[in-house]
Amino acid sequence: MGEATSARVARILREKGFDAYVMVGGLKSWRKAGLPTERVPESDVELLPSFN
Amino acid sequence: MTDIAGFIAKYGYQSLFLCLFLEAIGLPIPGAVALLAAGAAVAGGAMRLVIALPVALLATLVADTLLFLAGRYSGWSLLAVLCGLSLSPEGCIVRSAKWFYQRGRLALLFAKFIPGVNTMAPPLAGSMKMRPGQFLRLDMTGALAYILSYGAVGFLFRDIFRALAGGLQAFSRTAEWLIGAGVVAYIAYRIWLYGKHRPDRLVPRVPVSEVAARLKEQPLRPLVIADVRSHGYYDPGAQRAQGSIRLEPNNLDQALPSLPQNAPIYLYCT
Repeated sequence: MGEATSARVARILREKGFDAYVMVGGLKSWRKAGLPTERVPESDVELLPSFN
Repeated sequence: MTDIAGFIAKYGYQSLFLCLFLEAIGLPIPGAVALLAAGAAVAGGAMRLVIALPVALLATLVADTLLFLAGRYSGWSLLAVLCGLSLSPEGCIVRSAKWFYQRGRLALLFAKFIPGVNTMAPPLAGSMKMRPGQFLRLDMTGALAYILSYGAVGFLFRDIFRALAGGLQAFSRTAEWLIGAGVVAYIAYRIWLYGKHRPDRLVPRVPVSEVAARLKEQPLRPLVIADVRSHGYYDPGAQRAQGSIRLEPNNLDQALPSLPQNAPIYLYCT
């Protein structure tokens, strides 16, 4: 279930001629494999409204 | 004879609780129908208002509070799960958040009357960090309005509902039938969804270890790691795989020109 978005986007990219793959297990597996993460840059963060 | 009546009465309240609880957590159970039947049962003397009303209110508040807390502590990921049932999960999150924000706190008061919104409102209030006391007050008012208005209609038009349902036994049977029909409809929907996504499952899948091995060959053989999560970008301080780029699934067409045609693109979500 968690890979639904990756799979959908990968399918669309493949249809447009890109060499796209789904990375199995997503970010969870990436972390489990001990690979490094980074903080999402401020410019990419999309703040949704909040009441407080 | 009184034993049977007592058992049926008890079972009736349990069905009422179950219907409203399941509806509130997002299963396709028409809680309004259960309330109409309960109102008719109260009018006919088969159910007592002093028990039926608290049962209905408790069922709704327990479910809503669970969703509120889940929203509060999971940031936007719970919303992503709830939105996973919709046709475009990412758009669903942003749309719901904006809808809820524009209508402000009053949205909680009438959310119950709108299918779909009823389940989304409590976790949204949680994700948007509404204060718990305020949430409970607004949610309880909204739940009371919902329960009383449908219950009153059932109460006033009890003869119609009695003709339809024929008392409490039929109410329990109706409730069971509704739950059953809801579950069947849900399973059918999931099967349909499964079939719809079939082409997506033919996409090649690569384990993380292989991507890591390819990373070591950089920059000789370039590759792209793309993050297709949306909700990962709503919480400040969120993390992502080092060196990855953001690929917003809702804006694919815009992003396409910047993607390389001759390097592998590895996509990941949560």
